[in-house]
Amino acid sequence: MNEFVMALGWLGLYAPVALGAIGSCIGCGIGGSAAIGAMLDTESGHGRFIGVSLMPSSQVIYGIVIMFSLQRDQMTAEAAGAIFGIGLLAGVAMLYAGIRQGEAIASAINASKAKPEIFGISLAPAAVLEGFAVFALVFALVLSGSIPA
Amino acid sequence: MSDRLQYITLISSLPHIGRLFSEHGTGISRYRLDERLTLLESEHARLLDRVVSITAWSSVSKIDTDAEVIALARSVIGDLDLYPDIQNLVRSRMETRTLIAALRRRREGAREAGDISAWGFGRWCRSIRDNWSDPGFGLSQIMPWVAEADRLMKAGDHVAVERLVLTDVFRQIGRHSAGHEFDFTAVVAYVLRWIIVERWSVYGTAKAAERLRSLLADALKSAPPPFAVVPDPESALQQEVHP
Repeated sequence: MNEFVMALGWLGLYAPVALGAIGSCIGCGIGGSAAIGAMLDTESGHGRFIGVSLMPSSQVIYGIVIMFSLQRDQMTAEAAGAIFGIGLLAGVAMLYAGIRQGEAIASAINASKAKPEIFGISLAPAAVLEGFAVFALVFALVLSGSIPA
Repeated sequence: MSDRLQYITLISSLPHIGRLFSEHGTGISRYRLDERLTLLESEHARLLDRVVSITAWSSVSKIDTDAEVIALARSVIGDLDLYPDIQNLVRSRMETRTLIAALRRRREGAREAGDISAWGFGRWCRSIRDNWSDPGFGLSQIMPWVAEADRLMKAGDHVAVERLVLTDVFRQIGRHSAGHEFDFTAVVAYVLRWIIVERWSVYGTAKAAERLRSLLADALKSAPPPFAVVPDPESALQQEVHP
């Protein structure tokens, strides 16, 4: 039983990185595809399309920060449950935020291609999603402080 | 590249189609559009061709009989069972075409609808048959454009009728493709809109050419005959010396 709980602890420790990386991959893939399509149709502004399509890459960075905050000198049965719960749920939040952010960015790129003046405001939904991911990061850091060492 | 990413790239590579009847035009030539559409999977390219074959007037006009058009529409709808919104779009286009056909038949003097199943398609056939003498075929509450098209047709304003119908078709496409941003349905909606805008822009070009011809004809009528006003160089010189 103890070993199983420890295994869950390790799973929870690495989950934010793995799930965050998957979310970033999918999100950047979606955003990047829209940017590539937009470059076929426009003569300028290619840099900003590519730049904004990389926005979902922040999810994996948040995942790495959460992993380090959850890491203990030694995995113990007392800490494993908490690490599993916080790590897994934070990872799922990063995964979902990354995918949805990619979709929001694809829509923003497609819309701003027709109307370049809305480029900034069209990124607002993606920025709000980033904010939600930051909430998940911050509160994972706060809770990690109360996990027994 | 996965299906989803492929469609995101394809849709993003297509220029925005502005409002109908604006000066914006299609934004992309047929050659370029065909080039971009090579990103479609072969099965989707085939389905798109089939949808265009029944919705674009240039394709339907090559079919000899109404019965063949109706049979083709049924076959295309049957082929699209994975895409219910495109099915509904094709149905709506056929229903609009049925209403226009009914208006034309009535204008040409038909006293009743006759065997409407032979030339009509969709939900409104019964209403057309039962309300043949009504300007809007009893559909004025849900489709006010029908009675308006009838009035314009009687007044002989065919351009306005075309404008009215295309506006409704444009709306139909928007309604049926709502919620589809980066998928096959969105591509079909884009291509159908492009065809409408292109058709209207061709009308615009033809109309402009006709107008230019009439202006030239008027100008030539009022112009003096050739060489009639060219003064003799010597008398012109004398006029300059002794005004």
